[in-house]
Amino acid sequence: MKLAVVVQRYAADINGGAELHARYIAERLSRHATVEVLTTCARDYVTWKNELPAGEETINRVRVRRFPVVRPRDPHHFGTMSRRVFERRHSIADELKWLDAEGPTAPALVRYVREHEGDYDYLLFFSYRYHHAWHGCRAVPGKAILVPTAERDPAIGLAIFPPVFRMVRAIMYNSHEERALIEHVSGRQGPGVIVGVGSAIPERTHPNRFRKKFRIRRPFALYIGRIDENKGVPELFSYFQRYAAMHPQGLDLVLIGSSVLPIPKHPRIRHLGFLPDEDKFDALAAADVLIMPSRYESLSMVALEAWALGRPVLANGHCDVLRGQCIRSNAGLYYENFDEFAEALYMLEASGPVGGILGRNGREFYRRHYSWPVIERKYLDMFERLRREPAAPIEPLPGFFARRARTQPPAAEIVAAAPAGAVV
Amino acid sequence: MSDFTVQSDSVDVEQIMRQIRARIREKRGVDYTEAELQHLAQVKLEKFIDPRGIRSDLLQHFQRRQAEAPLPNYEFGADSLFESHRPLLRAIRNFFRPFLKLFFNADRLSHALHLQSRINDEVVSRTRRVEDLAYELLHNLTVEVTRLGIEVHNLKMRVESLSARLDFDERRAKAFEGVVQYRTPGPRPAGDATPDGGAPAAGESTDDAGGERRRRRRRRRRRPGATLAETQGQTWTGEAPEGDEPAGDDDRTDQQDSPESGNGAAGNGNGEPGQ
Repeated sequence: MKLAVVVQRYAADINGGAELHARYIAERLSRHATVEVLTTCARDYVTWKNELPAGEETINRVRVRRFPVVRPRDPHHFGTMSRRVFERRHSIADELKWLDAEGPTAPALVRYVREHEGDYDYLLFFSYRYHHAWHGCRAVPGKAILVPTAERDPAIGLAIFPPVFRMVRAIMYNSHEERALIEHVSGRQGPGVIVGVGSAIPERTHPNRFRKKFRIRRPFALYIGRIDENKGVPELFSYFQRYAAMHPQGLDLVLIGSSVLPIPKHPRIRHLGFLPDEDKFDALAAADVLIMPSRYESLSMVALEAWALGRPVLANGHCDVLRGQCIRSNAGLYYENFDEFAEALYMLEASGPVGGILGRNGREFYRRHYSWPVIERKYLDMFERLRREPAAPIEPLPGFFARRARTQPPAAEIVAAAPAGAVV
Repeated sequence: MSDFTVQSDSVDVEQIMRQIRARIREKRGVDYTEAELQHLAQVKLEKFIDPRGIRSDLLQHFQRRQAEAPLPNYEFGADSLFESHRPLLRAIRNFFRPFLKLFFNADRLSHALHLQSRINDEVVSRTRRVEDLAYELLHNLTVEVTRLGIEVHNLKMRVESLSARLDFDERRAKAFEGVVQYRTPGPRPAGDATPDGGAPAAGESTDDAGGERRRRRRRRRRRPGATLAETQGQTWTGEAPEGDEPAGDDDRTDQQDSPESGNGAAGNGNGEPGQ
């Protein structure tokens, strides 16, 4: 069996959630099939500037083919187009322009996919919202498997995506909530399975080594990820500072990850910067609880890693996916306002047995659903199933005039009307 | 104060969240939404900051009173009854004045009216002094009430803080009570110390030294940074931690380097901040 993984960026040191997800899947599936990665020369997801050489290379025993991006993203133009399609009545042509503006526009990649369709049994497209996935899935719908990594943001309400969701052979969802959202906006009935992704969990961790290395003596709550407004970190800072005033002897907050925001100068908040995996896992093992303040996640890998190491998670309850995972796993609490944040964190730190039991549930949840043998088996079962099932019919784009008719409602309205909440 | 109850090894996150919300409702009294709370907080703060909210229009009222024109009064002398702005009339009145004195005592009348005029002045003056005093008194009272209000507010916050600390300590104590495992005295190996940890009766000096050594060993074993997380892993779960987190003595374990090093900071699902 020969597979292609088509993703917007790919490198051993690219840390975006979907990109890392794609790399893990490519490397794991390469144990069962010949896997090639088709990607762009971009490293930066904001500009899509060509930074890596076009051509072939091998990363962790997986062959990677890179194709150049023809134009970098113009943030101003992309912002204008986003406002037009998300907030106003617009046309299909506007949405296609938005897709071009978003990028990464790599026509050579799409052309290669179309011309070499016969070389692969299946092509796994990552991240539905990008140029490569939309055009790639339309080019080879009979062999396309989509890993959408969709979040509850306005992009999922655009009219150009539902036909793609319906046309692809299968969808590998990250969560029940993602599946519910995609099925609601597209009415898809075809094959799909909730898979997610595993992680490279070390067999042993050394919490004491972490404490010694960073001179951390007090118990602490941990945040891992980009320190960014979009990740809900300012809210976390605000809540934690209030919490720290309420509980002077409570947990400290330790932050790991690169920062694009100023970190408040507070005696109980420590920022350690970007750390290698070894330290990250040691930190998770040393922490009392992992906090996930983001409102938009299709799957939080770091939450899964915390559960894999038996640590409870305190998640933002506004994020349906995290909330759903906390409920389904019985391994985390969630909050929607400061009071809930304070009570839940207080409970985790002061009511000892609860944290321990939640952590144990998390470990079991990870082992049952996100360990690599389970993930690999789900992919292989899906390939087997698709051999037996017919492909869905191709849905052509509307005609010249229909594409230009401003009949599409604002995408944000579509998403707002979609059912929300955790799927339990 | 209500407490969370976790009766068994299995927990239900939704039930815990219901308990948390019930506890929040109990604290608040009413279940306000976050927006309502923000609104209430702002109103309170505005009142607190704005002196007009506390002093009403007291200051303006007194300032207005101060600025008002004084009450009219009259000057009354011995000739006031016979004065006129018309010279001829004034001359006629003065001409007949001796005759008029034959019919009534005009001086007495003049004296009474003069006295009344002085009394009027005195009353006005005294009223003004009382008003000034009242203003000063009220002003001071208002300032004092405001100051006391702030102090009461601060004390309330301190009480809340202390109550939260107490609650925290109680819970921690409860949690630690659950951790303590009492050992039943069993048969001890020969040559070991007595059950109370002290030395046998014979050979006191040697055994004292042995006890001291043991104590030192225990102190060394007690790690300075022992945390709840580690304690949980060791005891609350009621089982030894699984291989990946050796309890207490982590540094002796072997580190396994993972060839599939992932990221230190997980990004979001599509590798891009939520837009």
